[in-house]
Amino acid sequence: MKEVPAKIEYNNQWIVIKLGIGEDRLVLPAPISQEILFKAVADVAERKNVLLITVKTDKEVVYKILSVEKVLQVLKKLILGSCNAYRLMAYFMSPAIRGGVMIKEAAWEKGSVVVVQSGIWFVSATKQICVPVVDVAAIELTKRDVQGKPTEVVRIDHVESGEVVSSLVLCPLSTLQVLYNFLKETTKGMDMKGTELDGIDQQVAMLIYSGMDSHAIENMLNIPHKQLDSIYDKILKLGLAEVVTIRREVQLTTKGVRYISDATKSQTN
Amino acid sequence: MGKILIVDDTLFMRTLLKNILFSGGHSIAGEAGDGEEAVAKYKELKPDLVTMDVVMPKMNGIEALKAIKALDPGARVVMCTAVGQEQMVKLAIKSGAKGYIVKPFQAPKVLEEVKNVLAT
Repeated sequence: MKEVPAKIEYNNQWIVIKLGIGEDRLVLPAPISQEILFKAVADVAERKNVLLITVKTDKEVVYKILSVEKVLQVLKKLILGSCNAYRLMAYFMSPAIRGGVMIKEAAWEKGSVVVVQSGIWFVSATKQICVPVVDVAAIELTKRDVQGKPTEVVRIDHVESGEVVSSLVLCPLSTLQVLYNFLKETTKGMDMKGTELDGIDQQVAMLIYSGMDSHAIENMLNIPHKQLDSIYDKILKLGLAEVVTIRREVQLTTKGVRYISDATKSQTN
Repeated sequence: MGKILIVDDTLFMRTLLKNILFSGGHSIAGEAGDGEEAVAKYKELKPDLVTMDVVMPKMNGIEALKAIKALDPGARVVMCTAVGQEQMVKLAIKSGAKGYIVKPFQAPKVLEEVKNVLAT
């Protein structure tokens, strides 16, 4: 058993502990005095540098652990290798596309894909990448050129800091189909019929995706402000977008008109 | 900043790319709606960079890319296609494309790719 320094949240406070890391468990010393069996871990998530481990026994307990990157990497690898999850050996490429631009240096990595309650993890000897389920934008079975042959892969799109990032998973077709179905099931709350938006609504949505503001959208599609507003209402109601800024249109009051008139006079005198 | 020729068979995508490229300080040399027109406009306008859709009527983007490279081996062409057609990447790169963007795209990433390709 190795011991490493770490911080853990206990009674809403971060305390420093010597975290014991064994082959199949973590040992949390006093005042927590608990052992966490990796196989009892139901969920693993990462928020910035904090590792969140959810253990389900009689009740559900979430442990928040903070440590240096090297320690967290070891923890993630050990836990993801044995926790209660859907796991398969696969090749993956993550990220493969960012914001619509192919990443030239992206390469296939041998490892595993681990699907837990809150996320999809890509794990290799050097990487542990987590795609939170709530950030998944699309899952698709598609074809990709692999060693000169068009090959079936699963593409997972997720939103990261406002950018759409695509990852690819490659494994035998039968497994791929199982993974695809499993991921679709995990993220089914996000599914839509695809008929909710009509032609112009979809164009507006694509322009928003591309980063255009209201003024640019009105000009590009040659639509009045009121029409764009009602399309925004539809998109907002469907939960496809959120309001980030409200821009106001104003007109001068009599006081304002007088002020500008006076200012103009003083400039011309 | 560069002078760019936009090639796409849909007015919507051409307008979108034009807006994105304008916002990045680039100027638009011209637009073309198919591969044949793209080759003709390339000869006429000599742009610094071409954004080229792949699936187009008359002459597709890969054929147009090859024709432009035959005219000017130093031509900078960024291919632009829809999700699911990424297998065209190798063919396009083999045919001389300098970059590749996948629709739908996000403005900052398009500008970054264009900047990188213009720097080559």
